[in-house]
Amino acid sequence: MRVGFEILELARAAGARKIFVVGIGREVGKTTVLRAVYAAAHATGVRTALASMNPKHRLWLRPQTLFVTARGLLPRSPAAQIVKLSPLQSPTGALLYARSISSGSYELAGAPAASGVREVVTTLAGFSEIVIVDGAVDRVAALAGSDGAIVVACGAGGAGTMQEAVDDAAALVARLRVPQVDPTAPAIDVTGALTAAHAATFLAARETRQIVVRDPTQIALSGRGGTRSLSQLRIRCRRPLRVIAATVASIGTERSFEPGPFLTAVAEATGLPTFDVYAGVRAA
Amino acid sequence: MKALDLLDPASAHVLGFEWLTAALAPVSSYGERHFSELRPFVAGEERRAEERARAIARLASALDAERLDALRGAFDALPDAAAAIARASLGDVLDDPNFLELRRLAATIERIDELLADLPEQRPIANESVRAIAAALAPGGPKETGFYLADAFDPQLELARERLGREQAELDAARGREQEHAARELGRDGIEGDEFIVMRTEMPGALPAGIRVLREAPTYLLCSLEYGDASLAVLARRDAAAESVANAEERVRTALSAIVRDHAASLGAAERALGELDVALAAARFTRRYGCAPAEIAQERLLRFERGRFLPLEAELNAAGRQFVPLDLELHDVAVLTGPNMGGKSVSLQTCGFVALCAAFGLPVPAVHARTALFDHIAWLGLGREAQIGGLLSSFAREVLELKTILTRASPRLLILADEFARTTTPHEGKALLIALIERMRERHACGMLATHLAGIAAAAGARHFAVRGLSGIPRRPPSEDVAAALAALAEAMDYTIAEVTGDERPRADAIALTALLGIDRELVDAAYRALSQ
Repeated sequence: MRVGFEILELARAAGARKIFVVGIGREVGKTTVLRAVYAAAHATGVRTALASMNPKHRLWLRPQTLFVTARGLLPRSPAAQIVKLSPLQSPTGALLYARSISSGSYELAGAPAASGVREVVTTLAGFSEIVIVDGAVDRVAALAGSDGAIVVACGAGGAGTMQEAVDDAAALVARLRVPQVDPTAPAIDVTGALTAAHAATFLAARETRQIVVRDPTQIALSGRGGTRSLSQLRIRCRRPLRVIAATVASIGTERSFEPGPFLTAVAEATGLPTFDVYAGVRAA
Repeated sequence: MKALDLLDPASAHVLGFEWLTAALAPVSSYGERHFSELRPFVAGEERRAEERARAIARLASALDAERLDALRGAFDALPDAAAAIARASLGDVLDDPNFLELRRLAATIERIDELLADLPEQRPIANESVRAIAAALAPGGPKETGFYLADAFDPQLELARERLGREQAELDAARGREQEHAARELGRDGIEGDEFIVMRTEMPGALPAGIRVLREAPTYLLCSLEYGDASLAVLARRDAAAESVANAEERVRTALSAIVRDHAASLGAAERALGELDVALAAARFTRRYGCAPAEIAQERLLRFERGRFLPLEAELNAAGRQFVPLDLELHDVAVLTGPNMGGKSVSLQTCGFVALCAAFGLPVPAVHARTALFDHIAWLGLGREAQIGGLLSSFAREVLELKTILTRASPRLLILADEFARTTTPHEGKALLIALIERMRERHACGMLATHLAGIAAAAGARHFAVRGLSGIPRRPPSEDVAAALAALAEAMDYTIAEVTGDERPRADAIALTALLGIDRELVDAAYRALSQ
């Protein structure tokens, strides 16, 4: 449980009450990270809420855990306390907020659009001290400018080689950590997404002003080109995100990486506190 | 709200039926269901229509804006429990969200009754069944915004849960001991999570008993901790206890569902009353907001109002910082309306139709005083419905087909509002057609008003003649070419009042003045004035 405690502590230190765990691809240990943080929060007696951006996410919940699910996914037993009915609809039906009274297996439901994610997370935060979300990169805009923090999970399941996994993690973290705009310096506002075409134009023009997007999710740059654009252009955002940690899962269905070197490489590439939840260790 | 035979789609569009529907929309699903079934009153229902409008007006004057907002908030937060009640009446066992909906329904009804308690006309919505459901679901928690199938519902449930709690604690302890043991064997402080990795270099030999390999990598293994014999024994007891809890919970749900089933009919009546009240409150808000008054509903075919307003246009003008000029009119058979361009002829017709439309639905009307028949068809003819028929026909042919449709309807109480009918044919033929139409409308005992630029029709047909007073002088042309400034100057110079014309019609030159105002060069305007005087 040490990794869970440490991530929780990092969130607390950053003043974050909402933790989004986002993954680079599938099978990168996102759920394992979520469980570890949840177990730590429960063990410390923190009033905890859980949400998932992925449909039908089944978890074993301890008593007094708040969660969001769809009406049709609420188990008949053990009965949960229904706290609030939501007008939001998910692919599995109307959402509701419930609290587990007994330990049991419950299914979390995915919130629909980005606006729905924000509403769900805000509502859960109103009933709890910490909200842990099995998130998705394209939904983290809900955290922008708020008291939220992001944990990036990467692993052998999400890339062809270890270097590729490390590069992807570094690029995503760099994108999500784009700094807030300096209001005193010259800036160009980009309406909507900042695409590779925009970036190429700015690079060709040797643009030195701040290039400003609404939030980091509006930066549609990836790979080496994206990394180059982020390093050479002064890309800024109005509503920044906080990335507090990275995690690694070195074993995947099709390939596995050496846990120690993988952990170290991700830590060095991202500059973040990095953990291997399966090994229960933090990068030195 | 269904227009049914009262309006065809094109007339509904011109007369603002969609606007009216939106302005009257209730907030709850109960209200929406009732609203969707509303139909216009018909001849013979004059008293009912008038009574409804008066009841709405009384509600509007009895409730201040604050109380109307509080009621709107209560209805807005009302969950739809109709499906739950229907399911229970069919013998289904309801789920916990259904019980929450019913609980909130009962609580909201109580709140609404409290808010309306001082209104002598308003009968409470809560009945014995609503109170019975509230009482039956009360153990579900201290707040009606939530629900839990609590132990207080059934002592057996409490016992079953206590047992489950003991067995779960025992299972957690047994698993904890197994995890500690495995960690010791692996030389670790602890094991984190359901899955963990073990480096081959760290393995003391074979893996300790109870550790299962899930996946192998060259230098390490992904493992999980199996359930030992002690844990499996407790697990079996925990599962049996969980099943007992599930059975006890289902028994409580079955008993509660039976209570709902027994009260389903009366709960349905309360739901219908809620729907009617939501619709009436929406109409009361409309009445207050737009200063409406109940019309006197007449048996005879007439339409009369003082300071009548066409609300869709008034709302548009108010949004632009301008005022609607209210109209006085009286129609008891067929009349002709003349006046300058942009003088409000079309709006006068629309006001007639809108007042008649509101009255037909038993609503207070936007006028200081009104007396009207219940028309069974309000037909708009002419300008404004061009797009409703296919493009292969000329404007005139479309109008003729529309008129044919109107005249072939068996509508004993017909209100025809014709806006420049036959304007696209030769003036002398257009005039002849209008005179003939007036004669036909009289034969049908129809009521109506025909707006036209053609002169001499009222006199030739022996019909009453109304006219917009028009420009009181020639408006000063604004220095800029700004159309909005020209329109403002026009509005200032235009007298929109409608007055009955007696005696000869005086020729006017408002259209030429308007042409000048809108920026046509002075030379052309002067030439037009010269031509007019010849």
